[in-house]
Amino acid sequence: MLIAAPAIAVIVGVFHQALPALGWQLFTKRTNSTGIQNAILGSLLFLLGVLIVAGTIGVGAGIYLAEFASGRTERALRFFSEVLAGMPSIVIGYIGYVTLVVEFHWSYSLLAAVMALSVLVLPYIVKTTEVALRNVPSALGEAAAGLGLPRSATVRQVLLPPALPGIVSGLVVALAISTGELAPLLFTAGFSDNDPTLHLFHHQVPYLTNVVFTDISIPGARAHATAAAAGVVTLGILLVLIAIGRILASRARRNTARMSL
Amino acid sequence: MSEMPAPTMTEPTVDPSVLAATPVDAQGTPRPVDAVFTVEQLAFFYGANQALRDVSLSIGRHEITALIGPSGCGKTTFIRCLNRLNDLIPGTRVEGRIDFNGSSLYAPGVRAIDIRRRIGMVFQKPNPFPKSIYDNVAIAPKVNGIRANMDELVEECLTRAALWDEVKGKLRDSAFSLSGGQQQRLCIARAIAIRPEVILMDEPCSALDPVATIRIEELMVELKSDYTIVVVTHNMQQAARVSDRTAFFTVDVSEGGRTGMMVEVGSTEQMFTAPSDQRTDDYITGRFG
Ligand SMILES: Nc1ncnc2c1ncn2[C@@H]1O[C@H](COP(=O)(O)OP(=O)(O)OP(=O)(O)O)[C@@H](O)[C@H]1O
Ligand SMILES: [Mg+2]
Repeated sequence: MLIAAPAIAVIVGVFHQALPALGWQLFTKRTNSTGIQNAILGSLLFLLGVLIVAGTIGVGAGIYLAEFASGRTERALRFFSEVLAGMPSIVIGYIGYVTLVVEFHWSYSLLAAVMALSVLVLPYIVKTTEVALRNVPSALGEAAAGLGLPRSATVRQVLLPPALPGIVSGLVVALAISTGELAPLLFTAGFSDNDPTLHLFHHQVPYLTNVVFTDISIPGARAHATAAAAGVVTLGILLVLIAIGRILASRARRNTARMSL
Repeated sequence: MSEMPAPTMTEPTVDPSVLAATPVDAQGTPRPVDAVFTVEQLAFFYGANQALRDVSLSIGRHEITALIGPSGCGKTTFIRCLNRLNDLIPGTRVEGRIDFNGSSLYAPGVRAIDIRRRIGMVFQKPNPFPKSIYDNVAIAPKVNGIRANMDELVEECLTRAALWDEVKGKLRDSAFSLSGGQQQRLCIARAIAIRPEVILMDEPCSALDPVATIRIEELMVELKSDYTIVVVTHNMQQAARVSDRTAFFTVDVSEGGRTGMMVEVGSTEQMFTAPSDQRTDDYITGRFG
């Protein structure tokens, strides 16, 4: 209750602020007019990018940590993951700026932004993947070993399928986390009033949290309403992702319960 | 399973030097003529803890060998040495010798994976994969590249495991839709799908009701013609009913630690009627120390 009340108050407040700007033009007009279409597309593009980059690396590293790593490599990976997890997002953004944007000459760009966001959520994905695999009853791994199945086949065919809902639920929550981020993007994405393109380098990308951030500091009721509307859309994306994540997580729990016999 | 009281060491009624000289078989019982496994002076360590010592026995081909003894005496540890499943536990160590069909199981160059394809295992709790009934049986032959008509192979294995008639109409259903006894028979079908020579069973009936237990016992006797079976059991009647030879293990607490050891092995009939060691007699008749 104590947590829910302020949250609801904030959401209602944002909604109220956004009211004048809410309407279809949000999705059909760009930020140089009365909409935020380009920013919505940019944010969705980031989600896709993070899913591809952080998804593959994070799930891969999680599987490796849970099932294959040992000794020094395991300790090194864990240490690296913990350092990343503790890194403030603004620092990740700054490092992304210094290396990717400047040093690699990528400029403000889709890939620089996706990389910064990916680094941010990577430890989370690694952790949830590892936990999902460790929650698979060890009896299944023993059964597979008893059949002489190689480790790789055991992981792929026996351990991963029951762990999948848990892994995907972690991925979805990671996407939700990245949706609300601003700090790493300020240094890497830039902004544009045009719709985003699929160019990886040198093209700036508009996104929702940037609209919230900039329009709130522009004087005038319309800009404030647009900022609030961008906030509402961000919240909407978040809620959808969290709902999907919860459904998958409950399915994962049911899976484990069923298998523990 | 609650801890069973370990037999306390009473003054041995048998001269210890005789015991030491007869680590293999109870007096008068010849070793099996055709041994699949020959175990000599096996010892096993979990890190610094010794779980087994002085295990020496032979396991005859197409026989059922029962391993009995109080909880914690190392039966599971021993049976998992036979298919090198203990290799999965870091820090464990084997001493002594196990020959499988005449060559050392733990020799360098012998791959545990290859061994486990030839020596199947059925566990205490039924542990089917969260897949369909069909896929549970087909997975190992598929991964191991066995080229056969998979439908036929699945039917053959399920038939052999006395499960076919109960599942033939629902092969695509989840294995979890089966009862515990059916799941255990499915695990047996899964084990024989890669045509092993040996099936190891660690208390295969301890999670099952009496009717399901009898079915598994009947199945074991049927499978004996094609496979060598080693079964751990806490059920004396079961050992007496199904096995040809019985090995009795106990826990040695004399040196402060708790080390499992084999006391004697012999034909089941002789072990149950005239064991040569007092501890075996006490255990079988239900007197613990
Ligand atoms: N993974 C392990 N790590 C360390 N010690 C172990 C491990 N597994 C078993 N032990 C120890 O080895 C000894 C023998 O255990 P084991 O499970 O082989 O006995 P058991 O005869 O099968 O007993 P039960 O009848 O209860 O199944 C016990 O003291 C046990 O605590
Ligand atoms: Mg046991």
